[in-house]
Amino acid sequence: MIAATAGDTLLADLQAEGRARELAVEELHALLLRAARFEVSRRRPSLPHLRGDELDEIALEAADDATLSVLRRLDEFRGESRFTTWAYKFALVEAAVKLRKRAWQGREIPLEPEQWTGLSSGAPSPAATVEQRDLLARLQHAIHKELTPHQRQIVVAIALNGVPIDVLAERLNTTRGALYKTLHDARRKLREHLEEEG
Amino acid sequence: MDLEQTLARLLGPVGPEIGCDTCFAELDRYVELELAGADADAAVPGLRAHLAGCPACAEEHESLRALVAAERGD
Repeated sequence: MIAATAGDTLLADLQAEGRARELAVEELHALLLRAARFEVSRRRPSLPHLRGDELDEIALEAADDATLSVLRRLDEFRGESRFTTWAYKFALVEAAVKLRKRAWQGREIPLEPEQWTGLSSGAPSPAATVEQRDLLARLQHAIHKELTPHQRQIVVAIALNGVPIDVLAERLNTTRGALYKTLHDARRKLREHLEEEG
Repeated sequence: MDLEQTLARLLGPVGPEIGCDTCFAELDRYVELELAGADADAAVPGLRAHLAGCPACAEEHESLRALVAAERGD
């Protein structure tokens, strides 16, 4: 367990100069490597095709990148959480992004509807199943009629075909934030359309 | 994929929702409030809705929460 005071000392040393800072950067890297390995081990069952040394390499790369990000953004730390908690998120996200990217490496990104059929319903009754299928059909129609081609691609890829948002952002040369905004606007349009239909 | 899950992913969460960048900025504070048993949703409105609508941010939230909880011996 890392006490809050240990994190505070680390932060102060990272903001210092000379040998103290060098040691602090090493400590930060070790901390972030532990977080990256934690993420890799959590996801390991979903990545059976990756060897142990490949996973270790991903964790190390994530820790390296996260260390640079933390050092670059130290002045953004507002002290609203422990410093270690704040720093961990950089390593976890770096590792998660790299693992999703690896999982989709060499795979085509499905931007066209593929999954409209074959969806299984866990609804509690036949009537509820019919209702769900009716809603899906209305949504399918609305996606084609109401959304722009770009919105349609994003909704289909992320919401229907399960493409991770960061993988899609990289392939489309945009940012995760920008893609989520598109997805959010498209979903709102779909909900509004369904409400208008009654 | 499950039909209900697909419908939820197509329609997204209802109500005000923050974006991925704000979610990342607030995630550490949110997780610590959650683990302390405080009202994290009141402190960071729209984050819970975002987690419902964004599978990637939801995964990262789960990981941070699990890591911090493990370190504290919860």
